[in-house]
Order: sequence, then structure tokens, then C-alpha cells
Amino acid sequence: MTGTADLKEFIAAYLIEAEEHLTVANTQLLAIESAQRNGDTNPRGLRETFRSLHTIKGLSAMVGIEPVVAIAHRMENFLRDSDRSGSALPQPAIDALLRGVRAIEQRIAALARGDIAAAPSEELLAALDSLGLSAAPVARAPTSVLDLDPELLAKLAPFEVDQLLRGIATGARALRAEFSPSPERAAQGLTINSVRERIAKVADIVRVLPRAVPVAPGAPGGLCFILILLTRATDEAIAEAVGLGSLNVQGIARDSPTKAVVPDLAPSIDAELDGVDDGRIDTHSRRGVVRVDVSRLDDAMEGLSALIVTRYRLARSIAALTEHGVNTRELSGIMNDNARQLRDLRAAIVRVRMVPVNELLERIPLLVRGLRRATNRSVRLELEGGDAELDKSVSERLFPVIVHLVRNAVDHAIETPDERLRRGKPEEGLLRITCGARSNTRLEITVSDDGRGIDRAAVAAKAGRPAPDDDAGLLELLCIPGLSTRDIVTTTSGRGMGMEIVKRTIVDELGGELELHSQFGQGTTFTLRVPLTISIVDAFSFECSDQRFVVPVTMVEEIIEVDSNALVQVPANEDGSPAVDMISRRGVAVPMIQLWQVFHLQAGKKPPRKAIVVRRAGAPVAFAVDRMLGQQEVVIRPMNDALVRAPGVSGATDLGDGRPTLVLDLVALSASLNTSSQPLARAR
Amino acid sequence: MTEILVVDDSKVMRDMIVACLRAIPDTCFSHASSGLEAIERLSLATFDLLVLDLNMPDIGGVEVLEFVRAQDTLRALPVLIVTTRGDDQSRERVLQAGATAFLAKPFTPDSIIAEVRAILADRAEHVA
Repeated sequence: MTGTADLKEFIAAYLIEAEEHLTVANTQLLAIESAQRNGDTNPRGLRETFRSLHTIKGLSAMVGIEPVVAIAHRMENFLRDSDRSGSALPQPAIDALLRGVRAIEQRIAALARGDIAAAPSEELLAALDSLGLSAAPVARAPTSVLDLDPELLAKLAPFEVDQLLRGIATGARALRAEFSPSPERAAQGLTINSVRERIAKVADIVRVLPRAVPVAPGAPGGLCFILILLTRATDEAIAEAVGLGSLNVQGIARDSPTKAVVPDLAPSIDAELDGVDDGRIDTHSRRGVVRVDVSRLDDAMEGLSALIVTRYRLARSIAALTEHGVNTRELSGIMNDNARQLRDLRAAIVRVRMVPVNELLERIPLLVRGLRRATNRSVRLELEGGDAELDKSVSERLFPVIVHLVRNAVDHAIETPDERLRRGKPEEGLLRITCGARSNTRLEITVSDDGRGIDRAAVAAKAGRPAPDDDAGLLELLCIPGLSTRDIVTTTSGRGMGMEIVKRTIVDELGGELELHSQFGQGTTFTLRVPLTISIVDAFSFECSDQRFVVPVTMVEEIIEVDSNALVQVPANEDGSPAVDMISRRGVAVPMIQLWQVFHLQAGKKPPRKAIVVRRAGAPVAFAVDRMLGQQEVVIRPMNDALVRAPGVSGATDLGDGRPTLVLDLVALSASLNTSSQPLARAR
Repeated sequence: MTEILVVDDSKVMRDMIVACLRAIPDTCFSHASSGLEAIERLSLATFDLLVLDLNMPDIGGVEVLEFVRAQDTLRALPVLIVTTRGDDQSRERVLQAGATAFLAKPFTPDSIIAEVRAILADRAEHVA
């Protein structure tokens, strides 16, 4: 026998899976709490929470993480009992369960850092041990009748029947659809997992049951799956979603709800759980998904970066050969292929790095819940996610910013219930977060509250500046480093991180835009726009006073010729800031900044011949440069060293000559020069 | 070649089971992440052993087991139940439902290898 497997090797994979289950547990516990606040129960949520803790316990035991086993075991026991009794979770139990999840999260985080998982406190274990169930479960009388074989009906759990009845009551159609697997269908990608995923797009799947059938051409495996659905889609739409020409679909709701009485239903959950069947439909089947540590993706990206740099060195060598009269046509062809391959490879790696934006939002409800309790505010949270995906590294930078804005909104913007009533607002404040792709390259996030809004005059007084005329001016004030408005009535004081960090992250680090809209007394909305990916961008390279620079292509509106006759000289400013010329572009005067002056370089021997036009706050600004060198993909390395960080410089890159080349953010640069009265943060 | 179908909704757990069982020569593995997927695979291909978790989304291991035992073609398929619920009561119930053997999590590589070897040896005897 060869070497025995060492299960400790699975720690990294274990940590990732445990985190996923913890997210499920948090989300479901909050959903249960919210349902119960509305006088309802959420048995499916309870069961999913139970399953998550059960899985965490099993995996932790396999890799020998006993402190987690101890916590998860107690939570699992209580959740199983609650599931059996069908009762609501008492509020103290929800609190204790969330504490338990938090305690496991802390241990998972410690393990991820390479620390050991601390033993849980006796107090926590005792709290989890002493959890008690609520009194009698809520019984619900059936309001309609299901037309299903008794055999199938018996397999539905009470909450599934309840789900069907409620669905029918609200006008949805209750259906049973059949799918028989076959080797041919499997070859076309039609399996129970894919069918389930596709149907889930047009219907709620209440339950899927397997049924043995005689072997027939339509069912070569002697197997048929029966899917019990609730939907508002037509039969054709369902068949189309599945990708089958026809699908055997039948309604299971009787026309008249008075025809019959629902038979005594289903095995009790008790019996079912004793039969050790715990699960239900997994709506997001994870089949075929590989989870990868993000650092491995970074390694891959790093490797690609090295390849791109090598490619530029190669291109330069070839160019040198060409200059010496060598015929490099074949080499050029190979280089073109190589460029295409690198682009494809880059696209493939970028795709792997993408995470759903919804992951960003998953943790917000828990945060708001904690804030709600700490601040005694009554806040309703509305989340609107979407299918957009963004780069893991962008997501990681974005999250603390959203947390900061949410915290400010609940802590400071939303008034106490009394104050709100006095102002004629609903007692419950509203916090709304939306997150969606604006284009193929940008994600827009908004964080809005209906709180007290920001008092411009108060902020200006605090900053010792004149009161701004508009929201953009206000945002600029709020982003002044060190400005704390904690003692005045605004939404801006925060813990640990001020608005200037928000601006630095969104605008400087991510190359995004930050916008503010605040109406005093009515509420505040922050709008963030960030690129979905970073790191490698298409860029123009150019020269100015013998220095090379690059600027991302996406930032450039146009590159124009500088005709010295079309220039209007404006006298240099008295404060020594660079002179601004005006250049005529299609008959419109555009301010033009001499880049060599901005960076205090030697003036070129000849006047600049090209100008790069960018758009800031809706208005064009031109930067004069000596000559354009070309367009290429560059890897942007952030400049984290505070000494070299400068406005308008978003990073450095290597064009293949081994020397660092600055990547310019001309939009931010023009803002820092204050060429117009409008501040930088205002996007278009 | 011994074909083994490993059914568990946790990918880490499936990977661990496969890592342990690789020590047995001439084995090859298929994965299923849910009870329904397991039943589908069993209806479309032939396996020599089913390693089955109990706690899964959609339908649980006991239901899979009951389905398997009710099929003429699958009645003789050896099924090893691997579960976190390791108490005697669960063991009794699962064996009654037709499981060939029962192993509680956490298990060691040696213990699962021993179980599988025993099942396969038993089966070889029956066939012979």
C-alpha cells in the first residue's frame, strides 16, 4: 500500500468551505429573525442553518479542529430540536446562535492566518447548552388542495405543503414536471443538476423526488425525477428554460379549493430527521465549481505580468533588429499571435478572478442588525444586487468602504424613532444599497438613507471654508483629511476610517468615481463607480520632455494635434501653478495643461505636438505631450509608498526597458490642479 | 477496475474520502454532490460500491438507500454509509434500511480503507 493520506492537507479547502457555510448560517438566521418579526416562521431557513452547522461540525472533526466541533455540535443539537418541533426560534436563541457563528468565524479566521483555534469560552458553550424552545408551533390550516398521488404527497414536508398552498393562494401555478435522465441527455449536458438550475430561473422548486419507472425508450435508466414547482411561467417557458422540446408538466392544484380536504399529511419532520434525512433542494448547486485560494490566482496573474513584460522586451529587440535592416516580417507575425494568446490568457485569468457582487452584500444584513441594536435605531435594509461579477481584489477593497458608509448611515444619518416621528417621517428608517454593472467595465454601488442629510454650512464651518454651492463641493470638504464632523449633525463621522479613506480607495486606488447627493433633512446617497477589474489595462504610452508615461485608454477621450496657431495663451497664475492655455477643438476652447510644467520637467526643444483629452466632471481638459508612442497592455503596480504617492499618479509599470514608468490618472491630475471650479469627485 | 461512486454535498469531504481510498489499487472514482445526482448516476452507469453521506440537500442518504434497495438492478450494490451521526441508534436504522456497512465521521484513512477492503473482499467471494 502506498502512503496514507494526510487529512491535514485539506485544511485550506476546509477553511474555504467552512466560510461558505458560515455565510449561509448568518444569512438564514437573519432571514428567520426577519420572518419572525413579521409573525411568520421560516422552516426552510432553519433547516439550511442546521445543515450548515452539521457540515461544519463534520468537516472540523475530520481535520481535527476540536474547538469548532464543540461550538457547532451544540448549535446543531439545538437547531435539530427546533426543526423537529417546528417552532419559532426565541430571540435569545437567535442571538446565541449568531454569537456561535461569530465564534466559529473567529476561529476559522485565526486558522487562515496560521494561528491556532482557541478553545471556546465556557460561557458561550453554557449559553448554547441552555437554549430553550418556544412553546407550541404555529399550525396553519390548508386553504387549497393538492392533486398529487398520496405516495408523493406523503414525501413532502409540512413546510413544503405550506409553501405550495401559499403560492397557490397568491396566484402562482403549482405544477409537477417530469425529467428522465438518459445517457444522450447527459451527453447534451441535461442532468438533474442542470435541469434544476435551469428550472430555478423560471420557477420555485419546492421539491424533487426520484421515482422508479419501467425501463422504456424515454427512461432508459428506469428512473424519472418529479419536480414539484411553483411558477408564474407558462409550460412552454419552462420547457424552453430546460432546453427540452417538450416537458411533461401537469397542474397539481385542484380547481376548487372546496372539493376535498387535504389528507393527513406527510411524515412528521421528526420521523424524517430520525431517518437522518436533513436536506432539501440546494438552489445553487456547486457541481463543477472549483474553489481556489485567491493567492494562487495572484500568482497566475503575476506570472502573466512577467510574460507581458518579456513580450515588450522582445518587441523592442525586434524593433532594434528592424532598424538595423534585418527582415523581421516572420517574427512580427509570431509576435502578433503571441499578443493574441496573451490577451486570451489574460481574459481567462480575469474571468477566474471574478466573484459575484452579491457576495459583497451578503454580510451587510448582519452588520446592520448589529448597528441597529447598538444605536437603538429602527432601520429597514433594502438590498438590490444582481448578476454582475467583479475582480476579487476590487471586491476586497470595496467592502470596507461599503461598511463605512453603512455604519455612518445607521450611526448618524438615520434619526432616532422619536425624532423621525417628530419630523413626519416613518418611524423606521430606510437604508438602501444597490449594486449593479453600469457597463462591461464599471460597477455602480449606491448607499442611500432617508435620514437627516448633511448640513453644508456646518461642515464648511468645521473645515473653516466657505459653504459649498453644490454636493460636489460638499463631498470635497468631507474628504479633507482629518476633518471630523463627529460633533455636528452629519452623516460623516465614523469609526476608524474617514471619508478621505473612502475617496482614496474609490478614486485613487481603484480609479473609480465617488459622488454625493444629499438633501438636508431628507437623506443622503453616495454613488460609487469602480472598475470591475484592475491590474492590467490597455494604455497609451507617450513621451514628454524625454520621459515616458502611460495613461489608460479608457480614460482618454481623444488625442488631438496641437496646432500652435489654434492656441490662446492665458497668463501664468500668480500662485505659481502651471499656466493653462486654451486650445480650439472643433471650434470649442478647451483648457490645455503643459504636462512638463506639472511635473517640473525641462521644457522640450520643440513645442508639444499632441494633446490628450480627458473629461473631468463632464468638461474636457487637454494635456500637451511631445509625442505618442503607441498603445499596449500594461500591468499597473500600485505605488503604496507614501513618499512617491502623488496626485494624478495611479501606479507604475514596466514597458520592458526595466525602468519604472508612471501610470497617470489625468482626470485626477487635472482635478488636483484645479483647472476648473468643479471638484474631481463629481462624475459625469 | 473497481468503480466507486462517492456521494457527499461537501467537496472537501469527497476529496478526503477519495484521497484515503486511492491507497486501494485498481480503483476509480466518480463524484456526486447530492442524493438526486447519485440516483441519476446509478441509473446511467454501473458501480461496484456506493460511499454515501446521510445529510445532504434535496434528498438524504436514507432515501437514496431506500431507492437503491427497491431497484432490481441495484439491490446487490454494496453501500457504505459515512456520517457525522455516529450514534448506535442511527447505525441501527441505517443498517436496517439496507446499508452494507456504516462508518462514523471523523474517520481515519486506515478505518475507511479497512471498511472498503472488507466490503470488496466480501463481494468478490459472493461473485466467485
